Amino acid sequence: MMKPAVLFVTCLALSALAGPVFAKGDIAKGKTLAYTCTGCHGIAEYKNAYPSYRVPKIGGQNEQYLIAALTGYKKRERNHPTMQAQAQSYSDEDIANIAAYLASLKTK
Amino acid sequence: MTLRTATFLVVLAFSAAAIAAPKGNVAAGKKAYESTVNSKGEAKAACSSCHGKGANQPLEGMPKLAGQYPEYLAKALNEYRSGKRKNAIMAGQVVDLTDADVANLSAYFGSLKGDIHDLSGHAR
Repeated sequence: MMKPAVLFVTCLALSALAGPVFAKGDIAKGKTLAYTCTGCHGIAEYKNAYPSYRVPKIGGQNEQYLIAALTGYKKRERNHPTMQAQAQSYSDEDIANIAAYLASLKTK
Repeated sequence: MTLRTATFLVVLAFSAAAIAAPKGNVAAGKKAYESTVNSKGEAKAACSSCHGKGANQPLEGMPKLAGQYPEYLAKALNEYRSGKRKNAIMAGQVVDLTDADVANLSAYFGSLKGDIHDLSGHAR
C-alpha cells in the first residue's frame, strides 16, 4: 500500500497535471451533447436495471473526474455496457465539453 | 403452485434480499473517512486527503462523494476491491476495507449534502 506521504504527493502531482494539460471545455457545446445523458441521469432515483442501483448524480461533479470517467468508458476500462456505448461516439473534445457543462451545473 | 403464490414468493424473496443488504452506520463511516489508520493499525492516507472536507471539496480529478447514492458508491468501492474497476490510488486505499467499512462509508457519503445532483432540473 502507498505510504500516506507518497499518496499525498501523487495526489498533488495529479492535480497539478490535470489543470494545464487539458483544454477547457465549451459549456454551450457540452449542453447540446449532454441532452442524451438526461435520459437516465435526469430522472431522480432512476435505477439501472441490472445490477440494480440508482445511476449516479453527475451534475456539479468535478470536471477532470468526469473527463476521466468518460474516457475510461470510451477505452472500455470502466465496465458499463450503456456508458461504453455512449462514450464510443464522443471525441476527446466532446468529452471535455460534456464535462465542462456538467461540472458547471448548480442545484436547481 | 399458483401464479399468484409464485409472484408473492418472488416479491418476498426480493424484499428479503433488500433487507439483508448491510445497513451502514453513518458515524462509523465518518470516522473511517477521516482515519489515517487502517483496520490492521497501519498508517494510511485518509480518504479525506483527496476527496476533501465533507467529501465535497476534492482535489482536481477526484470525485465529489457527498450526496451520492450509497449503493452506487458501494458498487464502486467493491469494484475497486475486486479489481474490476482499476485505479492505482483507489486499489491501495481499499485493500483493507471490510464489507462493513464499505456499507458505513457509503451510508456516510449518502447522508451528506453536497454539490452533486441529478439532471432533472436541467433537462430541456
